[in-house]
Amino acid sequence: MTLPPVALTEGTAERPETAAPTATGLPAGKAKGMLRLGAEVYVQNRLAVVGLVVLGALVFFSFAGPFLYHTDQIDVNLAEANQAPGPLHLLGTDATGYDELGRLMVGGRASLTIGFAAAVIATVVGTLWGAISGFFGGLVDAVLMRVVDALLAIPILFLLLFLVTIVRPTVSVMILVLGLTAWLVPARLVRGESLTIRVRDYVQAVRMMGGSSWRAVFRHILPNVAGTVIVNATFQVADAILLIAYLGYLGLGISPPATDWGGMLSDGTNFIFPNYWWLIYPPGVVIVVAVVAVNFVGDGLRDAVEVRLQRR
Amino acid sequence: MIPYLLRRVAQSVAVVLVVTIIVFILLHQLPGGPARAVLGDRATPLQVAQFNQQNGLNRPLVVQYFDYLHRWATGDFGFSYKLNQSVGSLLAQRLPKTLVLNALALLFTLVVAIPVGVIQAVRRNRLVDYLGTTLSFIFYAAPTFFLGLILIQVFSGKLGLLPPEAPQSDGVRPIFADFTAMVLPIVTLALLSIAGFSRYMRSSVLDNISADYVRTARSKGCSPVRVLRAHVLRNALIPIATLVGLSLPVLFAGALVTESIFNFPGMGLLFWQSAQTSDFPVELGVVLVTAVATVVGNLLADLSYVLLDPRVRFG
Amino acid sequence: MTARRSGYKFVLYCAAVALVASACSRSDSPTGQGNAPGKAANTATWALPPNTVPNWIWPLTPLSNFSVVNAANFQWLMFRPLYWFGDSSGGPGINPDLSLAQLPVFSNGDRTVTITMKPYAWSNGEQVTAADVIFWINMEKAEKANYAGYVPGQFPDNVKSATAPNDTTVVLTLDRAYGQQWFTYNQLGQITPMPMAWDVTGPSSKGSCATSVAGCAAVYEYMLKQTKDLPSYATNPLWQVVDGPWKLSSFNADGHVSFVPNPAYSGPQKPTLAKFIMAPYTTDSAEFNVLRSGRTLDVGYLPTQDLTQAKPADSGPSSAGPNPLSSKYTLAPLFLYGVNFFPLNFGNPTAGPIFKQLYFRQALQSVVDQESIIKTAAKGYGVPTTGPVPSYPDSPLISDLEKRNPYPFDMAAAKNYLTSNGWNVVPGGTSTCARPGTGAGECGAGISAGQQLEFNLQYASGQQTIDTAMQSLKSNASQIGIKLTLSTAPFNTVIATAVPCSGAKCTWQMQNWGGGWVYAPDYYPTGESIFGTGAGSNSGSFSDKGIDTLIAATNTQSGTEVMHTYEDALAKALPVVWQPNYTYELLEIANGLHGVTPQNPFAGITPEAWHY
Repeated sequence: MTLPPVALTEGTAERPETAAPTATGLPAGKAKGMLRLGAEVYVQNRLAVVGLVVLGALVFFSFAGPFLYHTDQIDVNLAEANQAPGPLHLLGTDATGYDELGRLMVGGRASLTIGFAAAVIATVVGTLWGAISGFFGGLVDAVLMRVVDALLAIPILFLLLFLVTIVRPTVSVMILVLGLTAWLVPARLVRGESLTIRVRDYVQAVRMMGGSSWRAVFRHILPNVAGTVIVNATFQVADAILLIAYLGYLGLGISPPATDWGGMLSDGTNFIFPNYWWLIYPPGVVIVVAVVAVNFVGDGLRDAVEVRLQRR
Repeated sequence: MIPYLLRRVAQSVAVVLVVTIIVFILLHQLPGGPARAVLGDRATPLQVAQFNQQNGLNRPLVVQYFDYLHRWATGDFGFSYKLNQSVGSLLAQRLPKTLVLNALALLFTLVVAIPVGVIQAVRRNRLVDYLGTTLSFIFYAAPTFFLGLILIQVFSGKLGLLPPEAPQSDGVRPIFADFTAMVLPIVTLALLSIAGFSRYMRSSVLDNISADYVRTARSKGCSPVRVLRAHVLRNALIPIATLVGLSLPVLFAGALVTESIFNFPGMGLLFWQSAQTSDFPVELGVVLVTAVATVVGNLLADLSYVLLDPRVRFG
Repeated sequence: MTARRSGYKFVLYCAAVALVASACSRSDSPTGQGNAPGKAANTATWALPPNTVPNWIWPLTPLSNFSVVNAANFQWLMFRPLYWFGDSSGGPGINPDLSLAQLPVFSNGDRTVTITMKPYAWSNGEQVTAADVIFWINMEKAEKANYAGYVPGQFPDNVKSATAPNDTTVVLTLDRAYGQQWFTYNQLGQITPMPMAWDVTGPSSKGSCATSVAGCAAVYEYMLKQTKDLPSYATNPLWQVVDGPWKLSSFNADGHVSFVPNPAYSGPQKPTLAKFIMAPYTTDSAEFNVLRSGRTLDVGYLPTQDLTQAKPADSGPSSAGPNPLSSKYTLAPLFLYGVNFFPLNFGNPTAGPIFKQLYFRQALQSVVDQESIIKTAAKGYGVPTTGPVPSYPDSPLISDLEKRNPYPFDMAAAKNYLTSNGWNVVPGGTSTCARPGTGAGECGAGISAGQQLEFNLQYASGQQTIDTAMQSLKSNASQIGIKLTLSTAPFNTVIATAVPCSGAKCTWQMQNWGGGWVYAPDYYPTGESIFGTGAGSNSGSFSDKGIDTLIAATNTQSGTEVMHTYEDALAKALPVVWQPNYTYELLEIANGLHGVTPQNPFAGITPEAWHY
């Protein structure tokens, strides 16, 4: 087993990846019972439940919040810059006079959207890449996997720095950039799994009977790696939210007046000495809470998936 | 074993080559090339043309790439466009700093994470376990620039206990002479990675506790502590050794943000600076060193697996 | 065991209390009134600007290494330029005391320049002579392309002959008559006399560059090799031959550099400090953390965002407002002699025709709220820019029109500029051209019906002040239907994109690197390099025949009248969008360290005048 090295340049951050379950290779069936069983196991993990609830609350806050708490996030008002929290602005205002609480909602939309969308892209690309590589094996596998190894050998922040200096950072560009740099880990996971699956009898049988290779990939391999992949995808969400924060710190985040939690936090840290705490701690806390919640959800999902596999 | 090794080395060389090709192509996507970014706003078109001529940037990409390969093969990393130093001497200056900072942080991480992971596993689903999980995830989730600044604000600004910057004297030995200055950078960096290692340790210990041989040992009357120490820990540490091997590239790449916060310019910061000024030779040099470190790290991780785990055998 | 445990708890408690304290109030406990860190050892430690270290010791600097830090903060300490700019009161004029020669004498209808050297000496005992000046001129002639200050057609191309009739006299014969001020400031200002010890082609082989241009290539090659050997800077005997007050005593390529006094310095003010030390910083917040601790820095700087209170609006630019570090340091703002602006790309195929319309530039300039930006984003530490001549420090060159500001912030006027020229203004949306054509009251040449006022503006990341200013501009502009799409990029990327261009690939529209232009080494603010048609640094390709004539006049005629005419024309023509000129640094000087102010407006530092 080769464990994937991990994303962040910053620190020796090794994150808990899903240990590739010793996969059995039944065709995806009996799905309903398994799903219920998985859900039961998930609910047993209290942290995972808390994580799900918190995550839901953050999504509600970011997307429904602006309808309940109206703020002007378009016009700059320099006369109201850096105001401490008060009745007019519950969490004060930032350096351009935007209401900070309203800004947290706007930033949350960007952070969460980028996090989830980048994870989806990374997972889709990585899964296909890994499935193809593992299923076909041989030269295809060698070439595809060397590309993955090579990209993994470049620290992801380096890769992002290259990309972001070339393109203009908007939300959709960020999703693409983060998604297209984060697919390596799922690619490796899926490849490992499909290597074991492709020698299974039923897959061999499909090929013998003249079934196309693509059919085998889509019908048999992908459903079997789904659990692992979904668990990994949740961690990708957390990674993307963090990475965009680091990019914001390096001045390569989303362009103003759009913003994300990371960008808000890095702006806020400028004001640690004058102690405009309302610009520092709220975005800091939501980032930590969101990332931790997503990780708890991921942990819960992993438990559920593992049990599902063990019970078979 | 030997054929396996040879195959892995060949793969590694291929990986490094692919890395250089990818980075080379990415670099040259920069619109307008590096000349204006290096020369600044006073550059006339004539000077830009001269710069491109001098640095061979007007030649076909393939020619430029093989030129780099040729020079790397002779140990020549090129000369920085901007910093008036050879890339080799820049690396020699920055790499030790990065290695010391990251290695110490890794050491600190292990010292904390392994016991925490074991305790969490033994007390699974108890309060201690939940607390450990939550705390380590919180530190993992707090961006370094946030965590580091708070630590500085508290321990340097308010309490005045620790210096706000890493040791400034040159070389590695003075770093240990001025160790209090190293505390904050090390802690900042380590807090980030404790989560990962302790999670691995926890699940690894859990896997082993339920393994057959442990049950056998227990039934033979070995004390739980002895079983834990003699059997479970030894086996649980195998994936950790692998993880350490895999974190080699990060040791080399450096921790950009921590280096910048604590005024400790290492490899990460060098890369960031050169990326901003389009200093191609430096960017390529740093990536090359990191890539080599990565494949070596992967290789060592695989080997450690073979050596540590008697069950794994390669034909 | 118990004791240790309680100790542990105590630390945790302290940390918790501190966190709470930091969240509620800010209380920096002052220690040691007027006790500068370097006082005991009689040294001064000075903070280098963030992310910049000296790395080019030879005054003949190429563009890639041409920076304030290399020239003003490093080379000038050891190797003095022929003329020192920045007078004793902080103004931008020549400082006769620190210059190596008397002011030049013009004769023969301003075609002949005679320079008389003052009795300065090199540290090896030799005099600073006319031959040292000729040595520089020959070298610059031979290696034009390798010197950052060279502008084609100007010095030394415009010098027909340079001779030294005796040791103290240099005579230059020019190809035509030039304005005395312009020639002295922008041409002679480039010269740094070089010692004969540098006229070498090897450790012991003499060169011939001081006597003939032909001999310079070999000397250049050898000197370049020495300059590229950073680790040897403090030990190479070449660099120990200095005419400035300081000698390198240690040099580390990472930016840790120290100087000791040159005992043979022959200038007016001899150093009293035992050592002058430079400390490098990765970011301004890393520097500030160190400064705040008050342990090492004698002279540092305060990042604008760390100012807690703005300065009173009625105080002059150089005066300091409330200083959060006042218990240990004294605040002294430093402005460089420059103007701040960002270019519009006249060469852009679609946006260019709009930018070429004066009324559009007037409208855009009128929505730049310089006063508010200075007051809030810059905390009062900025001066408005209204034309090509810096409005601070005060000088007779500033015209009345510039002082009045022809285009103050005025939303109504901005809207009027557009509506009266054929635009259908949509506040909050995107204005469109309703009346195309070239007649009066119509949009103008190259603008089609329905064309929209929608532009991309990229600016340099990492500066809170610029960030706020650009968001304010976007917000104001949208009120008259000019839709600006902002993006950020590293400084060098912004500079690299803002190149003069034309044709389909010329796609950038507005680029703001945040710093405009500093008049050094073109110390006379005539702007031929930034506003002249086809000039290398005229990023936006602004072109106006009438203004070209006025610029030429400032180069060839003497006196302030010709300057005022040029200046008024440019201030009205808006070749670029003017924006506030911010402080270069908010210097923090340790209490008890004297002689640091007044500061040099070209960022030159004179630690020989510093004392405890």
